[in-house]
Amino acid sequence: MKLLNSRLISPKRCFLLLLIALPLVSLLGLMTGPVFIPLSDILAIIFSGGGGGGGGGANSQEKLIVEIIRLPRVVLSLLVGALLATCGALLQGLFRNPLADPALIGVSAGASVGASLVIVFGSMLTANGLLLGLSAISVGAFAGAIITSVIIFRLATGPQGTSVATMLLAGIAISALAGAATNTLSYLADNDMLRRISLWQMGNLQGASWDRVRLCAVTSGFLGLLIPREAGALNAMLLGESEARHLGVNVEWLKRRLIIYSALGVAISVAVAGVIAFVGLMIPHVIRLLVGPDHRALLPLSALAGAILLVAADALARVVITPAELPVGVVTALLGAPFFLWLLVVQRRRI
Amino acid sequence: MLKIDSVGLGISAVPLLKNITIDCPRGSVTALMGPNGAGKTSLLKVISGEHKASEGRVEINRQSREEWKPADIAQFMAVLPQSSTLEFAFTSEEVVALGRTPHATGTVRDAEIITAALAKVDASYLALRSFVQLSGGEKQRVQLARVLAQIWEHCEGDASTDGILLLDEPSAAFDLAHQLMLIDIVRQISTRGVTVVMVMHDLNLAAKCADQMVFMNCGHCTAVGTVTELLTPELIHKVFSVDAEVITHPVQGTPMVVV
Repeated sequence: MKLLNSRLISPKRCFLLLLIALPLVSLLGLMTGPVFIPLSDILAIIFSGGGGGGGGGANSQEKLIVEIIRLPRVVLSLLVGALLATCGALLQGLFRNPLADPALIGVSAGASVGASLVIVFGSMLTANGLLLGLSAISVGAFAGAIITSVIIFRLATGPQGTSVATMLLAGIAISALAGAATNTLSYLADNDMLRRISLWQMGNLQGASWDRVRLCAVTSGFLGLLIPREAGALNAMLLGESEARHLGVNVEWLKRRLIIYSALGVAISVAVAGVIAFVGLMIPHVIRLLVGPDHRALLPLSALAGAILLVAADALARVVITPAELPVGVVTALLGAPFFLWLLVVQRRRI
Repeated sequence: MLKIDSVGLGISAVPLLKNITIDCPRGSVTALMGPNGAGKTSLLKVISGEHKASEGRVEINRQSREEWKPADIAQFMAVLPQSSTLEFAFTSEEVVALGRTPHATGTVRDAEIITAALAKVDASYLALRSFVQLSGGEKQRVQLARVLAQIWEHCEGDASTDGILLLDEPSAAFDLAHQLMLIDIVRQISTRGVTVVMVMHDLNLAAKCADQMVFMNCGHCTAVGTVTELLTPELIHKVFSVDAEVITHPVQGTPMVVV
């Protein structure tokens, strides 16, 4: 494959690099935290599996930390990062706009309303009603996300089909409306609730559990089977909707499928990890700058890179201000934005 | 091959097209001409299926336009729009490769077709360049290569079905040499059985390759006929409100419009 002067790296090489980085970053994620666990112990714990006792130099406390806290957290970060980045890539393709992100279809704003409603009024629900390992806040966020995206989709769909432009505008308006609702709820909230609302909006992976991992894994697996099939059609969509139609793509159904996939993917990630900004916007953009816009490479590479970024960001979030934790959404922006800017500058120099 | 039977199109109260009837036999070249807003592009969009005719019907291969599924018709009909807005930095090669989306001919065969299609529009040197950085004329040539690649087997004359190519002002951004290149391509593929319908503004350029000319004005079809039938000072004045002389080309003997 010829390396093009407008491309920084070939998709194959990028894939290889990310594939090497993924386990390394994951191990780093397992090692870091309030209690530092050396690599040898991590490996001993992982490879001893459930087999009793023989955990090399690892003591039982370390074993517990890894198995119950860190491993589910790292796996959840991997899945959420992959989901967010892939959905971002889908939406940017659908809107034919590299600046589109999950917030545009109102998912994040809707999820915030749902979560805030539960935080403010949920105290009346005394029981910590768990559904599939999700807290009431997560269920509220998921419901809010799905409801707003359905409203926006309905508003943008007329007899002529779904207008992506209308959807964008409706998304902005509904997000503003949802933002007002969240602000009202924040105003009504007491200090503790207010803190929980704003922390939730910065995203965090503290609530990671094997139940949540399972939920995310099923969703990712389902989407991972379906989304790659759309790569060719998404490429055609970049030319324009009518051009895609002339290339044999059933554009109306494609749009519906893409909206359902991305709403589902983002809603699940928001439900388990809160609003984590920037991954969905930036990762596909970075990958596109590196290897070009072909979705057959862009979608899997975005998933990998999103997973890596979120695990790294979460590891950092746990150690920067130990024993407290930074919200992971803050770290993704802190890590990602300078890298993104650097890439933009490099890219500009090359042109 | 392509039959347009008393087609009307009315988006809102003002009809865009009224009672248009044109017959395009296999391998014919039809030039749609007329002033701005005459309905040429609208007619092309009715044929391509973007607009649904509100009256009359379009027939492709003896089958009504609405009955064709997008995936089936994309096998043999390609459409070049007036202009395209591609914001993503595909290389020219990748843009042409999108033309093979409807087919499952495999990457090896597709790569051959892409190279050949780029060569055909004199754009081989653009293959690895980023599409967004090309000039207007270069972009249009790459897009032309894309639609040719889509119906490549038909353009080469080795397809079992007949191809259709719809072009909307294909030469608008081309320099003189590439305008003539376009004419050569259109002539060549039509002799191999591809039916071409194109919107054009340059009467002389259209005269070089059209078997049939259609003069349109205000959504009506003013005249349909051969080049010699239509290129008369009276008709040109009636349709374009321009006084023009029609002379004969000193070498080729075709009619030429001089204003």
